[in-house]
Amino acid sequence: MDETLVVANGIGRDFPDGNAGRITVLRDVDCAISSGARIALVGPSGSGKSTLLHILGGLDRPTSGRIEWPSLGSFEELRPRQIGFVFQSPSLFPALTAGQNVGLPMILAGERDAADRTSALLLDAFGLAELADKLPEELSGGQAQRIAMARALAIGPKLILADEPTGQLDSTTAQFFFDTVLNRLENTGIALVVATHDDAIAARMATRWTMDHGWLRSGPYRSKAT
Amino acid sequence: MQLLWIRGVLARRFLRVAGAAAGVALATALLVTMTLFLLNASASMTARAVSAVPIDWQVQVIPGADAGAIGKALAQTSKVKAVHHAQYADIAGFQARTGGTTQTTGPGQVVAFDNNYASDFPAEIRPLSGSSRGVLIAQQTAANLHVGPGDTVAIDRIGLPPIDVRIAGVVDLPDADSLFQAVGLPPQAAPQAPPDNVLILPQAQWESLFDAQRKARPDTTRLQLHVRLAHNALPADPVAAFTFVTGMEKNFEAKIAGQALVADNLGSRLGAVREDALYASVLFLFLGLPGVALAVALTFAVTSSGAARRRIEQALLRVRGATTRQILSLSATEAAVAAIGGTVLGTGAALLFGLAVPGLGVTAAINGPALVIVILAGLLLGFVAFLLPVWWELRRSDPSAARRSVERDKTPLWRRLWLDLLLLGAAALFFWLSASTGYQIVLAPEGVAATSVDYKAFIAPALFWLGAALLTMRLSANVIASNGSLLRTIVAPAAGPLTTIVAAALSRQTRRLTIGIAMTALAISFATSTSIFNTTYNAQARVDAQLTNGSDVTVFGTSDNPAGARLATLASLSGTAFAEPMQHRFAYVGADLQDLYGIDPTRIGRATSLSDAYFSGGGASTILAGLAATPNGVLVSEETVQDFQLQPGDTINLRLLDARDHQYHAVPFKFIGVAREFPTAPKDSFLVANAAYVARMTGTDAAEYVLMRAKIDPALLAQQARAALGTDPSLKVADIGQAAHLIGSSLTAVDLGGLTTIELSFSVVMAAAAAGLMLALGFIERRRSFGILNAIGAKPGQLTAFLWGEGILVIAGGFIFGLLSGVVTAWMLVKLLAGVFDPPPEALSIPWAYLGIMLCLVAVSVVAAVLFSRPSISHDPEYLRDF
Ligand SMILES: Nc1ncnc2c1ncn2[C@@H]1O[C@H](COP(=O)(O)OP(=O)(O)O)[C@@H](O)[C@H]1O
Ligand SMILES: [Mg+2]
Repeated sequence: MDETLVVANGIGRDFPDGNAGRITVLRDVDCAISSGARIALVGPSGSGKSTLLHILGGLDRPTSGRIEWPSLGSFEELRPRQIGFVFQSPSLFPALTAGQNVGLPMILAGERDAADRTSALLLDAFGLAELADKLPEELSGGQAQRIAMARALAIGPKLILADEPTGQLDSTTAQFFFDTVLNRLENTGIALVVATHDDAIAARMATRWTMDHGWLRSGPYRSKAT
Repeated sequence: MQLLWIRGVLARRFLRVAGAAAGVALATALLVTMTLFLLNASASMTARAVSAVPIDWQVQVIPGADAGAIGKALAQTSKVKAVHHAQYADIAGFQARTGGTTQTTGPGQVVAFDNNYASDFPAEIRPLSGSSRGVLIAQQTAANLHVGPGDTVAIDRIGLPPIDVRIAGVVDLPDADSLFQAVGLPPQAAPQAPPDNVLILPQAQWESLFDAQRKARPDTTRLQLHVRLAHNALPADPVAAFTFVTGMEKNFEAKIAGQALVADNLGSRLGAVREDALYASVLFLFLGLPGVALAVALTFAVTSSGAARRRIEQALLRVRGATTRQILSLSATEAAVAAIGGTVLGTGAALLFGLAVPGLGVTAAINGPALVIVILAGLLLGFVAFLLPVWWELRRSDPSAARRSVERDKTPLWRRLWLDLLLLGAAALFFWLSASTGYQIVLAPEGVAATSVDYKAFIAPALFWLGAALLTMRLSANVIASNGSLLRTIVAPAAGPLTTIVAAALSRQTRRLTIGIAMTALAISFATSTSIFNTTYNAQARVDAQLTNGSDVTVFGTSDNPAGARLATLASLSGTAFAEPMQHRFAYVGADLQDLYGIDPTRIGRATSLSDAYFSGGGASTILAGLAATPNGVLVSEETVQDFQLQPGDTINLRLLDARDHQYHAVPFKFIGVAREFPTAPKDSFLVANAAYVARMTGTDAAEYVLMRAKIDPALLAQQARAALGTDPSLKVADIGQAAHLIGSSLTAVDLGGLTTIELSFSVVMAAAAAGLMLALGFIERRRSFGILNAIGAKPGQLTAFLWGEGILVIAGGFIFGLLSGVVTAWMLVKLLAGVFDPPPEALSIPWAYLGIMLCLVAVSVVAAVLFSRPSISHDPEYLRDF
């Protein structure tokens, strides 16, 4: 039942460099994501990880190459229904409670009535039920990222794209965050792509993609030693 | 690096720099046009005052002094253009025999002017009938004696036998007040009524008839030298012109060492105009400065609204090792672009605007130093508005704090001190203080060189304005920050199913939204108060001019040739809305001859405006209804009530001229009320009665005047009337425009038209700009949250709901607070500037159309700002990145 969610063929992305020239951030990237995939996207800062994630999620468009989402419907329907995003920096809405934040994608999708129930269920599943009425400023970094993950899952997407979600957490908290997430995703068929610097976290994923100056080398997980 | 920065600034922060430049441009443009207005208003006031003075100086030679020496002294005085001789002789009375009866008058005067007198003083004698050479008789005297051209009149000289002269023509003496004034009386003395009986002789004839009287009774004849000054040599400003002319007069008096008395008519007219000039500058301050302040505030709001973004940029620069000085100099570049660009734009726009609005006198003012000062002020504003916020931030922020772009909700000091309520309270107190002194803002006492403006009066509206702005901020901050049901109700129409989220998101941007609302409210308030004040002023100016002129267009006739006879012609003119005849007769109250107006009290109000202030003891409608109900009723002036100790209901016998026997007969009237002023009536005593009763008791229903309300421009109706009446010299057509030019003692003479155009255009622009700009400027602040919303699946339409939410908040807050404070400010201005009005207005005149258009434009500008800031379909992931 493995469906192919995203297929990218030879995509490139460049930006104006502010000096009449252009800088190339992605070069001829080929990749595909199937349901249930666990992918770690690693590479030094500035190598193009975020740019790739944005393109995979339909937030940005490549300047060359083709990208398709064969089983996710039309481009307009990608978010919030099919793809959820988690960011490195705090991305919760400061004025909304944790519970409301989790329900936000459902409201945006027009499922207002189900929003509260779904949000309660998800918070429960993440062991965050008691935080439902707290404002983001009252949460710790780890709690806020788990809420953000719950929000990404709220509407039941097929793909989660997380851009350094633990970048601002200490390693214990980061590990705990991933325990929860991987637990939650087990047997759901939801694919997960995580951009990260943290080897320990990358090691927990089945696949590792390495970005280097805009080139992508993909493959199954190989330890650094080899 | 500097160059790169400029490019970056211009590219990325174009909106902010452009916004700041627009603010500077608005402030400069407003200042420039207001300055042009002020310069031009004083110049035109001087010109108008000068043109309204027929005889600049009347130099009366004291008996026995050497007239030749005085003439020589005058000739040596620079700026004297022409000197003419006028001889006056008092006489005991005139007699005439016509149609078998003999009429006799009381004392009068016989005057003579030298040759060419009329060429320098054309306004003194207006021929009505017969010749304009030979013996001329004043119209009133001719009526009293029942004589006309060709008839003979006997002059009762003092101490000499009567002598006959043959009348060649009948004339009007429009300037009799000045011509026959008692020269040498202190300026505070009560004005003397001109003589009722006047005869004008050719100079040679006067000499032969009165030489003997002059020798026998030198106290009964006078020689005056009438002087015309070079008007184009006067300074343009009335205050300066006054000082100049009175100085000249003092100088001349010193030279002639008491040999003559001088009536400085020009000086006293300029003295009276000084008050108007001061009021013009007061108006400038009251009506113009809030606009300038608003433009300045707008500029500051624009420059400081980029705080979050700029903090980040500065933090980055610091990380790269830039020093405070470098950062400041980089910002100075931005400031220079905004300041210089804005000032150039504003000055250019103002000058173009000035050229488009006639009467602003752009060309004359362009070389003036005032303009340079204004332009420097604009430049200064641009730099300060930009650099001050940068400087503040640099002083208090460190790079790590700058990374936190979430605004900290620290209650500002003014809110903790309840400064808004304190200011409003203080405004009320100062207003009450001004009220208790009778709103005497401008003092320019007659005959005194010093003038004063009570600048304390400005404190009340200024405090009110500030207080209202702060209160607006407090109340809207309360509503927005609390994120309660009121906020949700307001944004619901715009946000629909997203209401909760939109309201919550807005509640986190309280500071920016509050400033946006306050700016919009201030701009709307400015537009509202200015337009209400201007409309009220114009309405009142019209009432005032109607009071002087009688109505929009008045046809003045005489008893022999009453304008009422042509009523049908006048009423049928296409520009006539309503035409109403009015009798103008004379009646003796005891020994006092007064003007008597015979009206139809039920109809007069259709042809002219009758203000409540014209009457005492009741409003206009009550008093007129009383008159209509009492056929023999009469309204008299306050003075007459005092003099004759009248009680309501008393019978008062007036002696009226009967058309059947040309004699004055007593006619009983019933005293029913007091009239203080009446259309065309003189400032002193007069009478108002029912025309029907006067007609019945005098045997003639002739209505000397016709009052007309115009459907079109009164000047055009006057033209129509003149054309329809033909060249009949005894029927004079006058419109309110001419009257407004002649009124010297009230500011109505100042053409507010230019000021109004400036103000109304600017306030609309400012209101629209405030609303639009404040919304558009939130763009950068919103981009990150829009980026996140977009990433978690919000569609562009849903993002726009957030913008509509903001828009509706700004519109709702701006409209409510702006209109409220605008109406209150207008009311305050009208009260404080009561001295401008004569009589004071009964109610504010609301310019509905203008207010409607202005509010529409504000709404349109908000809609435009929303559409402009609407997130595009192409995504903007840059703002999802960490800085
Ligand atoms: N909108 C943009 N405009 C210009 N340059 C960009 C933009 N977005 C990303 N870049 C550049 O692309 C490169 C890759 O960035 P990114 O994808 O964020 O890398 P990573 O996430 O691996 O750190 C960086 O050098 C960055 O400066
Ligand atoms: Mg990144």
